[in-house]
Amino acid sequence: MVEREKTRNDDVPLDDKAKRMRDLLSSFYNPDHSSAPKPPSDYENLDAINSTSFDPDHYMNVLVQKSNLEGLLRRHVEMAAEIKNLDTDLQMLVYENYNKFISATDAIKWMKSNIVGMQANMEQLLDKIMSVQSRSDGVNTSLFEKREHIEKLHRTRNLLRKVQFIYDLPARLSKCIKSEAYADAVKFYTGAMPIFKAYGDSSFQDCKRASEEAIVIIVKNLQAKLFSDSESIQARAEAAVLLKQLDFPVDSLQAKLLEKLEQSLGDLQLKTVRIENILLESNDPSKQGKAFESIPSTGHEVSVHGFAEAIRAYRVIFPDSESQLIKLAQNLVIKHFEMIEQCVKSRISSANFLGALRTIWTDVLLMDEVLSEAALPDFSLEAGQVTVKKYVASTFTYLLQDISDALLKVKVSPNEAAEEHALKLALEASKKAVLQGSMDLLLDFRQLLDDDLGLLVKLREFIVDWVQEGFQDFFRALDDRFLLLSGRKNPSSQDQVLSEGALGEKVLVGIALVLAQLSVFIEQTATPRISEEIAASFSGGGARDYENGHAFASGEICQIFRSSAEKLLHHYINMRTQRVSTLLRKRFTTPNWVKHKEPREVHMFVDLFVQELRAVQSEVKQILPVGLMRKHHRSDSNGSTNSSRSNALLDDRMSRSNTQKGRSQLLETHLAKLFKQKVEIFTKVEYTQESVETTIVKLCLKSLQEFVRLKTFNRSGFQQIQLDVQFLRTISRENIEVEDAIDFYLTRYELRSFHVIVAASERCFDPVPLEPPILDKLVQVKLARSKEQSK
Amino acid sequence: MVSFHRFVSIKKKVKSWSSGAATMQGGYSGIGYGLKYQSRCISDVKADTDHTSFITGTLSLREENEVHLIRISSGGTELICEGLFSHPNEIWDLASCPFDQRIFSTVFSNGESYGAAIWQIPELYGQLNSPQLERIASLDEHVGKINCVLWWPSGRHDKLISIDDENLFLWTLDCSKKAAKVQSKQSSGMLHYLSGGAWDPHDINAVATTCESSVQFWDLRTMKKTNAIERAHIRNANYDMKNNHILVTAEDESGIHIWDIRKPKIPVKELPGHTHWTWTVTCNPEYDGLILSAGTDSTVNLWMAPASAEDEATSESIAESPTQQADPLLNSYSDYEDSVYGLAWSSREPWIFASLSYDGRVVVESVKPFLSRK
Repeated sequence: MVEREKTRNDDVPLDDKAKRMRDLLSSFYNPDHSSAPKPPSDYENLDAINSTSFDPDHYMNVLVQKSNLEGLLRRHVEMAAEIKNLDTDLQMLVYENYNKFISATDAIKWMKSNIVGMQANMEQLLDKIMSVQSRSDGVNTSLFEKREHIEKLHRTRNLLRKVQFIYDLPARLSKCIKSEAYADAVKFYTGAMPIFKAYGDSSFQDCKRASEEAIVIIVKNLQAKLFSDSESIQARAEAAVLLKQLDFPVDSLQAKLLEKLEQSLGDLQLKTVRIENILLESNDPSKQGKAFESIPSTGHEVSVHGFAEAIRAYRVIFPDSESQLIKLAQNLVIKHFEMIEQCVKSRISSANFLGALRTIWTDVLLMDEVLSEAALPDFSLEAGQVTVKKYVASTFTYLLQDISDALLKVKVSPNEAAEEHALKLALEASKKAVLQGSMDLLLDFRQLLDDDLGLLVKLREFIVDWVQEGFQDFFRALDDRFLLLSGRKNPSSQDQVLSEGALGEKVLVGIALVLAQLSVFIEQTATPRISEEIAASFSGGGARDYENGHAFASGEICQIFRSSAEKLLHHYINMRTQRVSTLLRKRFTTPNWVKHKEPREVHMFVDLFVQELRAVQSEVKQILPVGLMRKHHRSDSNGSTNSSRSNALLDDRMSRSNTQKGRSQLLETHLAKLFKQKVEIFTKVEYTQESVETTIVKLCLKSLQEFVRLKTFNRSGFQQIQLDVQFLRTISRENIEVEDAIDFYLTRYELRSFHVIVAASERCFDPVPLEPPILDKLVQVKLARSKEQSK
Repeated sequence: MVSFHRFVSIKKKVKSWSSGAATMQGGYSGIGYGLKYQSRCISDVKADTDHTSFITGTLSLREENEVHLIRISSGGTELICEGLFSHPNEIWDLASCPFDQRIFSTVFSNGESYGAAIWQIPELYGQLNSPQLERIASLDEHVGKINCVLWWPSGRHDKLISIDDENLFLWTLDCSKKAAKVQSKQSSGMLHYLSGGAWDPHDINAVATTCESSVQFWDLRTMKKTNAIERAHIRNANYDMKNNHILVTAEDESGIHIWDIRKPKIPVKELPGHTHWTWTVTCNPEYDGLILSAGTDSTVNLWMAPASAEDEATSESIAESPTQQADPLLNSYSDYEDSVYGLAWSSREPWIFASLSYDGRVVVESVKPFLSRK
């Protein structure tokens, strides 16, 4: 170890001692041997005296064995020196330590003496601080009063300034009034208001009064400004705002202004009313449309314009007044439409209607500009929808009225001369009314459709629907009306009673025929044309869904009218035959046929009978077309020609062989079987003069036959019937005008009358006919007499 | 009087008629039967519960009149003449007694005067060579034209009603004593010429009579008018057997009306009727709303027109839209050659009816094919 130290120290020769000292010290203070060098090798182990595992004996042995004497001696010397060195070092260390200990003790001693005086110092310091504080408090309290005073003074000054302001207020206000700086004035006044409120009753009474007076002036001025139309809207709005700031009851103002507006609205309406009146007065159709368009462009439009302006202003002035304005505007629109509806009630042309609508629409658009919130177009669309619908409906009602009027005109001219053609006229007039009326109607509606007015454009689909629906309903109503007029329907409700009461019995019968023919006309001519027209210009629509396709179903209408035409025709025939039946019933119930006297002349009932038939003839001739004889003749039955001839033949034979009772009887039954009764009695009635007339004649003769069957006759009674029928036959033969019709007529008339005689002979105890010469003579007498009468 | 020879000839005639009818209607046929003379009236023999039979009489002014009792053969294909009896005068009305099949009433005329009588068919008429009708009673209190004799349709009742032009008679009939007594009599009043009547099957005391201008209702206990339907030219009236208060009337020109007699102002329903006069109308005894009418246009029409309360609404709508309603006319039988005056439902087989046209032809038809349709 020493050796190593030495070698190490050899490198650093300087301070060799200090180094060693340090090492020693560190080894002393560092008892931890972990940092000790690694276990020495054999040799080193030998050298490592400082290590704990040092074995002195082993060391000695190794040393002795290795070294020679000289080396041992040298070693000995070295060791001795080292030991000496170590001793001195040790000594030095002890000294040094001791020194340090002494100095530490000294320091502690010094410190102890110093700390004793510190407590006193600290207390002293506290005292001083305390005194400083008390001094500062003293200063504070002594200055406080003054500061208070200063503050008070300051407040007073401010107050004084305000008072000054208030005193100056009236003057200032008047100045403002002069300069019209109302905004400033109001600002001042509202500023001063709290003070006035607080002290107005005492200190500042005069001041307050003065300024209030000024404010009153201001308010007045402002109101004036507000109401003056000449002021700019901005200024008026400001005035309103100022007034509001002045706590002036603006609501009442608003109401007042609104009133004013309403008033102007009323004026507007008055004007429109006048317009409408003018319109209604100008019945000249050429002027109508123009009149309407020219007038509003001057007066009406201007006033509406003014109204719109007023609304605009009002809105600016009272921004929160929308709802009222909306109500007002809507009111206007409603009133407008009401007016139109009023007019619609009293029948106006579509041009006028259009004109009116147009006026309204322009108004609406004008107002919409200023008051878009009101949604006036939509609103008026709704109102307009109702109105247009009503218009359409009323137009149809008028058409219906026209048609019934045309029909009822027959009654107006009851004198005999007119009678001849009354029905014909009625038919023509009503035909015209139906067709022309419907066409005009469609034309009118077309105008509505074609117009580019915004309102109508939007309603177009609806209009199409309404028109179609309207026609449908119209025709249904017309059908009803027909049935009503014909008296076929039981008048259960009042209005029916009314219209029926107006009709004379005589006209009623004929009118059924007119109605029947009119129904045919509607079915065959009018409906197709109308549906054509509708298809051409009223297609589309379909705003609503229809379960059965189109609203206007011409097929259905045709069917309705076909069936009602049939009904009416039958009704007519019924009424006619009924009258004859009544006649016959009277004829057959009164006399005692079993005790009848010999016939001297044709019974007068035949006159009435013929008269009835003549009436039928005349009515039928007026209304119905002439049928095609040949066609009838052939289509009815081919056999009838033969039978009619044989009938005439047999007839002759019968009159010849009339004396022979048995044979005639045989003949009767034979004939009865020959002409099967029912075969040709009740064929379908056609809409021709011949068909209707023969049907009536047939039915009447059938009735006659039935009445005869219910009675029992003696010979004279039978002969009377024979005579009457013979006369009827003669008359009817004379009535045949067309050559061709003779055959046709004979088969109907002759056969029927023959059946009557057969029936009478069956019900007779003693059916002996009159001798032909007597029969002829009596008939001729009657003929001559009736001719005389007609002259 | 009636020879055997004649009887046979009639039977032959029957066959020819029926075969003719069969071919005419193609498959379904009405069965025909020919009377010798013209005739107006036919009646169902209601009391005969074993057979479907009808009784009919001829109307001949100058010949000897007959009463025919006819029966549908068991196969239903033929009409058999069960009995043929001579009758002193032409028969204007004939009604079978509802509780005794051998008794019936007739109204007859010799052309100048009228009479009414109750007859009884002799018991063993089949074995007799020329059976004579036994006259039980004569209803001989009448003066003017007698219109009809009515039996109460619903059962045994010893009363009879006879109606002439001006009076209404209520008779008490005693079959065993063979006597009829007038129990009460009432004049119809001035200007009311009675034409016929009907006895309410639901009310033994109610009778309806028809006259020129109205239908009048009588209470038989007091013989006073209780009600009236003011309607002109009613020719025939018939009570609905199934529904109380329902009366069907037939009018000359204006068709058939169905009335609820509690509401005499407006008819419940209206049917078009016939092309000429509607002569008679009769309600089916079993099937509700089935009505048969006959007219002088030589047709018989079968209608379906229920008149129950629930139908009142639809009847109103009929007036409004006649095209949309189902046609009430089920069928029109037109195979007649003259006016049809006689019409009767069979009460035993209520789907069968007999009709009689003036030329003396009885046609029995079944309405079964039309029943299935409803």
